Amino acid sequence: MSQPISRVAVPAAGVSPVPSPCINVCRMDPQSGLCEGCLRTIDEIVAWSRLSDAGRHAVWAEIARRRER
Amino acid sequence: MSTTAVLPDGMAVIERGWLSSNNIVFDDGGAASVVDTGYMSHAAQTVELVRAALRGKPLTRIVNTHLHSDHVGGNAALQAAFGAQILIPPGLADAVVRWDEEALSYSPMGQTCARFRHDAVIAPGSTLKLGGLAWDVIAAPGHDTHMVALFNADRRILISADALWEDGFGAMLSLLEGDEGFDAERSTLAWMARLAPRLVIPGHGRPFVEVNAALDRAHRRVEALAASPDRNARHIAKVMVKFLLLDLRSLTVPELIDRLTPTRYLMTLQKTFFPDKTGAAVIEQAVTELLAAGAVVKHGDRIENGDL
Repeated sequence: MSQPISRVAVPAAGVSPVPSPCINVCRMDPQSGLCEGCLRTIDEIVAWSRLSDAGRHAVWAEIARRRER
Repeated sequence: MSTTAVLPDGMAVIERGWLSSNNIVFDDGGAASVVDTGYMSHAAQTVELVRAALRGKPLTRIVNTHLHSDHVGGNAALQAAFGAQILIPPGLADAVVRWDEEALSYSPMGQTCARFRHDAVIAPGSTLKLGGLAWDVIAAPGHDTHMVALFNADRRILISADALWEDGFGAMLSLLEGDEGFDAERSTLAWMARLAPRLVIPGHGRPFVEVNAALDRAHRRVEALAASPDRNARHIAKVMVKFLLLDLRSLTVPELIDRLTPTRYLMTLQKTFFPDKTGAAVIEQAVTELLAAGAVVKHGDRIENGDL
């Protein structure tokens, strides 16, 4: 990836409100299908505002896994 | 306990960040509309996000609450992709026709924006149908003189643009246009309090339901800033530096100075609030304060955003 990967800490379990993963890069990587900044798919970004806290924590867990790759 | 707001059917709030405004996509039945379109450099992603939210419906209307670069930057790309009509508040419609980047605030902020042509105006006092609901168009000056908010009285939902966020509101840039600023924002907040919304969808940040708490915070912030013109001016300088860094990601201090000192807004700030300083010194102080707050970081001689 050409953009630096966010080091924003994954919020601890149970934290509410769950912060948005957006770090203002907002560019899709065509190879991975993920945003270069927040490492979410288009569908994940669109769905965010309807997710429960549990759903948002699950997205953050997925982002953390994607950072490891 | 979760305070995540529950959103009605027929609308999708795409929460973005600070460089791009939130985008609200409405299902109008046979077609769809979007309110506010983010920043120009994010336009490709905005098109993909809106396309996903449309679920195959045609986008026929783009509605803008105001013309700042972070709210209209995706207009041209969305219009090119979907052929939608563009509806804007009337105040600067003339400047849009001429594409006067000076009057539209883009040059004064050291920013740019993709040109678009509007098709209609949404005037305060009129009503707009979006997502099967009737939205009153309300004047919401303060941050921007010509900004409008949208209110649905049935569900008590307020689309507040940059007049009211969960914690604060957009910087008082209207002051730099020689307009009222604080009095306008006070009046806008009072109006919003009278409407008594149950749900607020702000221009940035998450939708929220704890409206009185947000109004209290905003009210206290107006008074604190109005009581300290110096603090307010330093905040505006920081916003200008931070926005440039959100867009360009990494700049040296001389580069920041080169880009911002010739702008009308920086020059107005300097003349009005820091007459004993140079424009360069105003920017240097803004950088110092942003570093102290961790909003930006220094790597060698480069200033970069603090969250990477």
